[in-house]
Amino acid sequence: MDINKKVMMQYQGLDNKFFIKLPEGVSINLVPAGIVVRSCAYLYDFFIRALVFALIAAALSFLGDAGQGLILIAYFVITWGYYIAFEAKSGTTPGKKKFNLKVVQDNGLPATLSNIIIRNLLRPADAFPFGYCLGIATMSFSKSYKRIGDWSAGTLVIYQEQKIKSALAGDNISQEDAPSIELAIDEQQAVVEFLERSKKLSIARQEELANILSEALNAKDEAATHKLKSMANFYLGQKI
Amino acid sequence: MKQNQFVQQNEARWQQFEQLSINLKDDMPAEFPILYRQVCNDLATARTRHYSPSLIAKLNDFVSVGQSILYQGEGIQISSLIRLFKYNFFRALFENRYYLWISFGAFYGLALAAFAWVKIDPDAVYYFLDVGSIKDIESMYDPASSVQMDERESGSTVLMFGVYIYNNIGIAFQMFGGGALFGIGAILPLLFNSFYFGAISAHIVNVGYESTFFSFVVTHGSFELTAITIAGAAGAKIGFSLLMPGQYSRAHAIKAAGSTVLPLIVGAFIMLVIAAVIEAFWSPLHIPNTFKYCAGAVCWFYVLFIFYRGTRYGHS
Repeated sequence: MDINKKVMMQYQGLDNKFFIKLPEGVSINLVPAGIVVRSCAYLYDFFIRALVFALIAAALSFLGDAGQGLILIAYFVITWGYYIAFEAKSGTTPGKKKFNLKVVQDNGLPATLSNIIIRNLLRPADAFPFGYCLGIATMSFSKSYKRIGDWSAGTLVIYQEQKIKSALAGDNISQEDAPSIELAIDEQQAVVEFLERSKKLSIARQEELANILSEALNAKDEAATHKLKSMANFYLGQKI
Repeated sequence: MKQNQFVQQNEARWQQFEQLSINLKDDMPAEFPILYRQVCNDLATARTRHYSPSLIAKLNDFVSVGQSILYQGEGIQISSLIRLFKYNFFRALFENRYYLWISFGAFYGLALAAFAWVKIDPDAVYYFLDVGSIKDIESMYDPASSVQMDERESGSTVLMFGVYIYNNIGIAFQMFGGGALFGIGAILPLLFNSFYFGAISAHIVNVGYESTFFSFVVTHGSFELTAITIAGAAGAKIGFSLLMPGQYSRAHAIKAAGSTVLPLIVGAFIMLVIAAVIEAFWSPLHIPNTFKYCAGAVCWFYVLFIFYRGTRYGHS
């Protein structure tokens, strides 16, 4: 097995990523959203719907019988139309947006109006017999967390990509010589990842991690982190 | 090439892409697709050269954002729903004709059976319905009652319109969605509604209120009852695709069934909205019954014509 495949498989096992081939000839990875985060998004949407309905109902209740009729229409539109309208527009609802989720097709492309209508009209099946029991059961039996509506419409709920990311590359520690140890490519990647993550870690944690390699590096604590970072910079090509 | 050199070379272009994708308005600049393809290329290069995971993740996000912008859907537009109804509805009627014929036959067959039963044995209606609700229905269609004699206020007309939208379309959508439970959620409500409808009609005839009842239901019944049978057939098809996936896997069968029945449920929705308008604003009018029967005949002819042409030929 070549290293490339091995690395990808490790990713898939660890992060539950999906690799999807695009017509452009590259594959991108998507991370499907699990039951808990989707339930939170559902509850958030539920409260928004309840609030909007309560406001509309309060406003219309002064109109007598006609108001009652309009309240029923508003209830119908909010129950069935809320998800369809928002998801058809941008693939997310306010609740999904809050939790950074969006609906896409199985092949990663944005979901079409047809997909959205099917996945939302099948909610009664997922909600059977109460509280989305069947939907949760179906989700827990599939790797991509699809409920019945998702199976029928061919959609996935994934984590949305953040539009702006932190800058790349790291410290100003430079390294003139090649490291004394020969490393395989995935090991080199692990060292580089250490450098990139080190900005988010405390000094003590960095040293703790680096000390795992203290024997191989022949150094401890601060010297070990320094040595690892300079190795990472060499692989990144800080000194070209 | 070392990673940093690669980043230095391409960073300006990535920033341009990022700026464009964030500030994109309705009109897409010509360079956006070009930049997108270059970013795709960069991602492939970065993967094969085993650059760092965070660089690959960043490029992955760029490609993801780019494709969601380039391939975004049309959004929700009334025109696309009408197009779906105008063209795809007839094709879907044809593709699912066996389901539709069976559902149509089952609905009217059972309704007729219930009608005959209650007509022959008038007390049978008390097996299925309690006395209170029968009294309610009788008072609704009693020619001498206040419901029939008084002119409806405009407020209560809107109220009834709301009830019809909320209740009838809600039932149709529930049947469609419930159909995914191996068809049970579609078939049971369909048969229940048909039996109920047949039994009530016979009971109304037995007590002699048929002129107010049939003149009321004849016009909107054309759209409403047909739409209910269509929604039932559409839901049942999704369920049966799970029971009998044929040569496909179940995951593929339910997906294929979903896309073939979608125009049916959209069509049923439009028909039920038409039915609700007729039921709220036309059916309760105080005009001679001849007008209502004429309008009913026109609507029935139109609906059955569409149903026949659709299921038989796949176009109008």
